[in-house]
Amino acid sequence: MEKSVWPFDFKQCITILKATGEKAKNLRELRDVISIVSGESIFHHVYQYFLKGHILEYTNDFAQWTGESLEESALSEHLSNTDPYAFENIHELRGRLVDVIDEYLKKTPGPKEVLPGNEFHFNQTITLIFPAEIRVRNLAEFLIAIKYVDGSSLYYHFYEARTRLGGGRDDFSQWFEDALGKGELAERIRAIDLFMHTTEGIRRHIADTVEEEVRRDMYGTTHNATVFWQ
Amino acid sequence: MLTRYSGISPKSDLMLLQKLGEKLKNRSFLHVNSTRAGGGVAEILQRMIPLINDLGIDARWEVMEGDSSFFDVTKKIHNALQGNFEDITEEMWQHHFEVNRRNAERLGLDADAVLIHDPQPAPLIEYRKTGTWMWRCHIDVSNPVREVSDYLLRYCRKYAAAIFSVAKFAMAMDIGEFIISPSIDPISDKNRELTPDEINKTLVKYRIPADRPIILQVSRFDRFKDPLGVIEAYRIVKKYNDCILILAGSPATDDPEGETVLSEVREYAANDPDIYILLLPPFSDKDINALQRTATVVLQKSLKEGFGLTVSETMWKGKPVIGGAVGGIPLQIVHGITGFLVHSVEGAAFRIRQFLNNPDMTKRMGEKSREYVRTNFLITRQIRDYLSVWYTLESKGGSVLEL
Repeated sequence: MEKSVWPFDFKQCITILKATGEKAKNLRELRDVISIVSGESIFHHVYQYFLKGHILEYTNDFAQWTGESLEESALSEHLSNTDPYAFENIHELRGRLVDVIDEYLKKTPGPKEVLPGNEFHFNQTITLIFPAEIRVRNLAEFLIAIKYVDGSSLYYHFYEARTRLGGGRDDFSQWFEDALGKGELAERIRAIDLFMHTTEGIRRHIADTVEEEVRRDMYGTTHNATVFWQ
Repeated sequence: MLTRYSGISPKSDLMLLQKLGEKLKNRSFLHVNSTRAGGGVAEILQRMIPLINDLGIDARWEVMEGDSSFFDVTKKIHNALQGNFEDITEEMWQHHFEVNRRNAERLGLDADAVLIHDPQPAPLIEYRKTGTWMWRCHIDVSNPVREVSDYLLRYCRKYAAAIFSVAKFAMAMDIGEFIISPSIDPISDKNRELTPDEINKTLVKYRIPADRPIILQVSRFDRFKDPLGVIEAYRIVKKYNDCILILAGSPATDDPEGETVLSEVREYAANDPDIYILLLPPFSDKDINALQRTATVVLQKSLKEGFGLTVSETMWKGKPVIGGAVGGIPLQIVHGITGFLVHSVEGAAFRIRQFLNNPDMTKRMGEKSREYVRTNFLITRQIRDYLSVWYTLESKGGSVLEL
């Protein structure tokens, strides 16, 4: 079993919702507010979508609202297909969202309005980060921990980390690479498509990938022990 | 006290509560509202204050006193903030302020954090000497009568922040506005696990047969809860599935229309022996709990709603809810995952039939419902959020804080 150079301390987070006071009742208003609202609000409605735990058919709040409340399915698909991690900063992401809506508005007649009460409310959050009080020193310990840590730990280390570290990196793969010298494992973790799974699905993928690595370290093969003795 | 929530509330919430407790240890936290009993605010404060004390924070709850004309004015303010026209004279506003002044003298308002609940005690901010003051608004003020909200805003704008239950209930105030949803207490009589014997006692008491699926709606007899629509939906379902309907509610003493609505409901039920209209006396929490646990399908078919916490109460019992897509209900029912949102009698009937005919789906969605409430709508989460807002306001940091 490999020795770690430094341990991995899991953190978790909660968010407190804050209203910006801005809202939109049609597509044009949504576009206009997206272009001026705080970066924190864009961050909340796009990146923190994954904190909700369950994923419907969308990947951000704008796509969900345009799909469900405005029933503009094609636009909703476009917005859902926008990869927020492909942008260097919120400014670029904001520009892309506005472009997608502008393109759509060119092709569609006057925008529909939602019924009162179904407007899009622009919010932002205060995030509180605190230790999960789980420290792991090697891959086997990591495997046990990843199965049980809070969903918000997964969000913080796997999703939020991408905006912190950049380059498609997350805290887990960074530790595998830097502390454990496992570059190949780090690449496999980074290759998990975070838009195609719920946070629980991500947990399973990470656990399966790490378990495979642990077995390889133990037996020199990915077969499990039962198969080995058959 | 808090240890009683281990294994019930999310571990992460309990851990953060401990952390915030350490940060705010021996600091004082005062809550002020206008009634000691009755209503959701008093109910949750009663349960919340001992829990906050248990964290090492000196929590206190004070109730303001006022004469009948004060409460007449505050009722008018309450109605006007929800969009109904009310004539509130300058004299009435002066009386509102005067009662607040007297209460400010009577109540010790010195505390490190002060949470003022609803419009009645809002002017107390004029007597702030120290501390972080927050105004907690439990009602929907998104479409207020402008003159009334403008008058009240002269007080509210002096708070460090406002807190609303749902983003769409808020009004623009030029101060920080946080969104904190209300919560249920999983270990209260209304929500705790019941023994089969306890459940059976309720069924016997109200002579409810347990031989057929039960459709239930628990709510006041109020037109906005659409009891007639529920009966209509039941009649559609009855053509396909044998079932009984229970409409259970307390008589609304503060609602003069309650009696009229109840008569309409009785008349519309037309002596159908499978419709049970139950008038529950006050303190029927355990009976409501038993009914929710017995029901096969639970409705909250509101046409207009506040937050609608009965939805979370039901979901906590592992029952998915069919609810009107109004007020705070869509925040609790994730359509197709933790229940169904409906917009018509026909929609409600269709979803009832789906649940009655697909017990596996009902069970699966029920489990998701309970989990959803565990994560989002338990009292420990609400305390966590109040303390987090207090801590955030004092920290004056950015949008990310590390504890």
